Amino acid sequence: MVAESAPAISTQVGWRLAKATGLMVLVGVLLLVLVLSLRIGSLGLTTRDALDAIFNYNPESYEQTVVRSLRLPRTLIGLGVGAALAVSGAVMQAATRNPLAGPSILGVSSGAAFAVVTAIYFLGIATPEGYVWFAFGGAAAASILVYAVASAGRGGATPVKLALAGVIVSALLGSWSTALVLMDQETLDQVRFWNAGSLAGRPLGIFWTVLPFMGIGLIGAILLSRQLNVMSMGEDTARALGLHTGRVRLISGVLVVMMTGAAVAAAGPIGFVGLAVPHIVRLFTGPDYRWTIAYCLVAGPILLLGADIVGRVVVRPAELQVGIITALCGAPILIVIARRRRVADL
Amino acid sequence: MSAYVLPDTAEGVTTASTRRLKSVRLGPVSFRLNVRTLGLIGIAFAALVLFSSWALTLGSFPVPVSGVINSVLGRGSDEYDFIVRTLRLPRLLAALMVGAALGMSGAIFQGLVRNPLVSPDIIGINQGATAVAVFWIVTGQPVGMLAPVAFAGATVTALLVYVLSWRGGVAPSRLVLVGIGINAVAAAGTTYILVKYPIERVGSAVAWSAGSVYASTWDDVAILSIALLILTPLAAILMWHLRILQFGDDTAASLGLPVEPTRLLLVLVGCGCSAIAVSLAGPIGFVALMVPHIARMLGGAMTGSVLILTAILGALLLLASDVVGQHFLPVSMPVGVVTAVVGAPYFLFLLYRANARL
Amino acid sequence: MTRLETRDLTLAYDGPPVVDGLTLDLPDGQVTSIIGPNGCGKSTLLRALARLNRPTSGAAVLDGEAVHRQPTKEVARRLGLLPQGAQAPDAITVEDLVRRGRFPHQSFFTPPTDADQIAVNRALELAGVEHLRNRAVDELSGGQRQRAWIAMSLAQETSLLLLDEPTTYLDIAHQEEVLELIRYLNEHEGKTIAMVLHDVNEAARYSDHVIAMRNGAVVALGTPAEVINPDTVQAVFGVSTEVITDPHTGAPVCLPCGDESTAACRMADDCPIALAAHDLTLAYDKRIVSAGLDVNLPEGVITAIIGPNACGKSTLLRALSRLLSPRAGQVLLGEDCVRDLGRRGFAQRVGLLPQAPAPPMDVTVEELVASGRAPYQRWWRQWSDEDETTVEAALKATGMVEFRDRTIDALSGGQRQRAWLAMALARRTPVMLLDEPTTYLDIAHQVDVLDLVRALNTREHTTVVMVLHDLSQACRYADNLVVMKDGEIVATGHPSEVVTADLVRSVFGVEASVVTEPVTGRPLVFPRNAVNGRYRNAIIEVAPDEEAAPVAEPVLSGAN
Repeated sequence: MVAESAPAISTQVGWRLAKATGLMVLVGVLLLVLVLSLRIGSLGLTTRDALDAIFNYNPESYEQTVVRSLRLPRTLIGLGVGAALAVSGAVMQAATRNPLAGPSILGVSSGAAFAVVTAIYFLGIATPEGYVWFAFGGAAAASILVYAVASAGRGGATPVKLALAGVIVSALLGSWSTALVLMDQETLDQVRFWNAGSLAGRPLGIFWTVLPFMGIGLIGAILLSRQLNVMSMGEDTARALGLHTGRVRLISGVLVVMMTGAAVAAAGPIGFVGLAVPHIVRLFTGPDYRWTIAYCLVAGPILLLGADIVGRVVVRPAELQVGIITALCGAPILIVIARRRRVADL
Repeated sequence: MSAYVLPDTAEGVTTASTRRLKSVRLGPVSFRLNVRTLGLIGIAFAALVLFSSWALTLGSFPVPVSGVINSVLGRGSDEYDFIVRTLRLPRLLAALMVGAALGMSGAIFQGLVRNPLVSPDIIGINQGATAVAVFWIVTGQPVGMLAPVAFAGATVTALLVYVLSWRGGVAPSRLVLVGIGINAVAAAGTTYILVKYPIERVGSAVAWSAGSVYASTWDDVAILSIALLILTPLAAILMWHLRILQFGDDTAASLGLPVEPTRLLLVLVGCGCSAIAVSLAGPIGFVALMVPHIARMLGGAMTGSVLILTAILGALLLLASDVVGQHFLPVSMPVGVVTAVVGAPYFLFLLYRANARL
Repeated sequence: MTRLETRDLTLAYDGPPVVDGLTLDLPDGQVTSIIGPNGCGKSTLLRALARLNRPTSGAAVLDGEAVHRQPTKEVARRLGLLPQGAQAPDAITVEDLVRRGRFPHQSFFTPPTDADQIAVNRALELAGVEHLRNRAVDELSGGQRQRAWIAMSLAQETSLLLLDEPTTYLDIAHQEEVLELIRYLNEHEGKTIAMVLHDVNEAARYSDHVIAMRNGAVVALGTPAEVINPDTVQAVFGVSTEVITDPHTGAPVCLPCGDESTAACRMADDCPIALAAHDLTLAYDKRIVSAGLDVNLPEGVITAIIGPNACGKSTLLRALSRLLSPRAGQVLLGEDCVRDLGRRGFAQRVGLLPQAPAPPMDVTVEELVASGRAPYQRWWRQWSDEDETTVEAALKATGMVEFRDRTIDALSGGQRQRAWLAMALARRTPVMLLDEPTTYLDIAHQVDVLDLVRALNTREHTTVVMVLHDLSQACRYADNLVVMKDGEIVATGHPSEVVTADLVRSVFGVEASVVTEPVTGRPLVFPRNAVNGRYRNAIIEVAPDEEAAPVAEPVLSGAN
């Protein structure tokens, strides 16, 4: 028996080691992507320029100014938004025990868009700094509405109900946005770019504005991961183990709204990062949310900045908005999930 | 235990015809008809005719009801004839037929997926048509081909959803999820087109994608009539098969129904209805979703005759929304915006009350 | 006063109370079973004891204080609950699952300690799943999975353990496996256990104390011998039974008295063959379930297909009903090869009632029954004279006339199953296939449905083939048994010839004694693991399958 259990325990340790190593590798990849994001663009730069601009800034250098004023904000926002979206997706999937939960399903984007369109049309606000608070508020309100509607009826927030409520709230808010842009071409012109979801053209100030929300959300999610583990065993079991399921669900809801609201406020609606990243990292981490969330924290920015870099390259000299790329890559993942799972589970 | 003893014959058994179902038998043909549903169809049709006549009187140039009736029947005066027959009647007829097509396609999809909350706009058919149509408009291609191109977009999207949902059969809830995914891809494509092209062209593309019957012509009406003449009877017949299919795949198969071919046929007819509507009027949301519910509330379970009721109610709803959007708002709004504002809250209410099984 | 009790406990969802003014004690250090018909409030009671439901009035009391007034973690350290049909997250390993049971002993900032790991190891060992610790839960067999969940509850280190239907969905061997473990935990770990059980005889064999409930109130409580008698069972389940004593264990065994008038033994050998399979190979995708199956199903006879979970019995039924086309071999219906019959032609001759079918909820009973006429109908011929008379007759025969306008979701489980039988009857097929028609039903409804099946067989001379879960039911109702194991047919013939202790051991892996029931002359099977309700290391006596063998080791070493 001893002979049998000894390798069993060492397998456990081995697993933990493998996961930690994997995480280290991912951090390495992230650093690489960060540097690439500073370098690649319509103006190609060397790693030296990029690093000097941060650590050894010379205001005379045109290259370094580009990095400081354009690439650095963009990269930092990508870092924060990617982490926030991926982690909030993981938290939602755990708290709702729902493999399809994700910010884009919750109507976050259309809520933010709704608020932004309204702000542009009625208040004439025209800068990204100006949108931030409206986007944040709209995102929060819409996601609360969707979740409330989906969980209100009998049976709670089942995956299908949640997805449908999200689609419908999006459609309703979307038609309001459509009505406004139809009346005013100028609004349309501004909104269509915001709507595509992009990291470009945001000043560094936006990053500082949303950072507190993202930070609290991310730290909260990490602290909550053990509770989420218990939560994922089902409502009854979790409660029998002494978990306040209602409280955990509420806290995770608040964290998710903070993170996704901040993300959409900073970068506009970016689909499918929150849905796809947790699924991808779970292939490596298994069902333990302590690892899943840590991996999401690193993998989210890798995916988002990677998509952003691709968007800068593919249609040179123009750029493809990062939101379009993530939707095009993410939707197939949703389809794969739908095809792979037994349908009864969905 | 006497209840278990089987009667040798059905003598002395009360027959169903004493209740509200009427059996109609004529040679090899036999049906059960619900008298109440037939009555409802009659009432709804009468309401439709009355409402349409009134709708034709509305506008910046008011026409009296008598003038409308005379013009429609072809004995009107020239001044009214132009307004009624050239300007208003095509739009009205298009609204009616688009509404009917949307209602039927909703009924088919909801029955197929066994989920009262599914409609063709959720599973990407509308969005597919939109992506293609928006591309067509912003690149300045000939407007005459817009409808066929949008139709092709809708059809291709529907086929794609169907094929991707196929895994030894099409499980309905997989169809929904795959549809949501395809919907997102098409939406991303639309967004891309919208940001890529100059704003002047994008404006009219966005207007199209709001969904309206504003610019309907007699040609559109002709296309719609032909499509509906084919699709309506087909859909009404298929309701019988659909009902068997709803008992579950195993039961349906053991009752001798070819399950997957029937499902494919239903998907084709449902998509046909939806695609023809979206290609001529743009994506109009919520009609396909709401109308079958209202029809079922009035007429009971979805049968061929309730489907006809659904079609009439769809026509009525779309016409009413168009009239509201056109005449009763401070700014004239496309019908799609009106249906969304009316429909979404209703849908959310349905979701709230929905069965725990969902 | 006991540690866990209820005082005037009333529980309600939105509506009339499910449990009404209940006061009872759960004796310390004993195994208590709660039995009763579907919907009697037994699961609700268990949930309230574990603080999952808030009482409308009164209280569930743990250690002298109302359970819902104590902090939830505090309760979770003293009382564990295993909910019914708990579902593990995808791909979680047994050890991770068990580790999550330590949650109540950890606080927000303290990481898991050595004490946690020791508790986890001990729980794994006690439940005999130590060698499975790195396997994913969803790969395990039903019995193993249930033991992994029990290990999760054990890691909570509570002295009170509540279990909601721990044996549902398991076959007889796995049921015994789980119940033995529960018994063991009680005797050697001193746990107080309360469980909701579906099966009266399991409760009688494995518990010290039985609480029988009906309509939210206790009808009887006491030792199994006190509670299980014909009068109580009649009062609780509304079914008349005989109660005999198991010769080995001394536990009472309750045998429902069905409609015995038609139970005349018919010898299957003399009948012509209605449905036959020759050299059948059945597979899903790449996985081959059965190869080279040969089976003859006699006409006008009730045949039951039995076997442990996943032995291929439902697959065989699907092949017989043409839902699954065989990889090789053929199914013959009388003289005709099933493949050559048209879809509708086949549907007119063979009817099927799938397992747990889910019709749309707005279907009325009449509509459901009428759909049985579909093989004879066309879209232009939806309601002929014959359809009408047949449907009326089917409704009457099944006693469903008064429910004809009710929708399916307004029926009880038993009524629903009867409505489906009425539909099958309206098809007027000479052969009827039923897949587990009694699953999810309580004992009274089971008897009801099986009596109806037998009446159809007798009166209409319908050939019935049904997959059954329960060995005793199969023995009582079938004239011909087909016993399957691992995709092969092990034995066929009349129950009295086929069912022997050897067969039960080799097929189900359970040691049992088989006696002849005095009235009907049919065999009765008593699992023999529990003698006088006392634990014996029976798992080891049984010739176990490969998976079960190492499992028993740690349990044994603890026991000796």
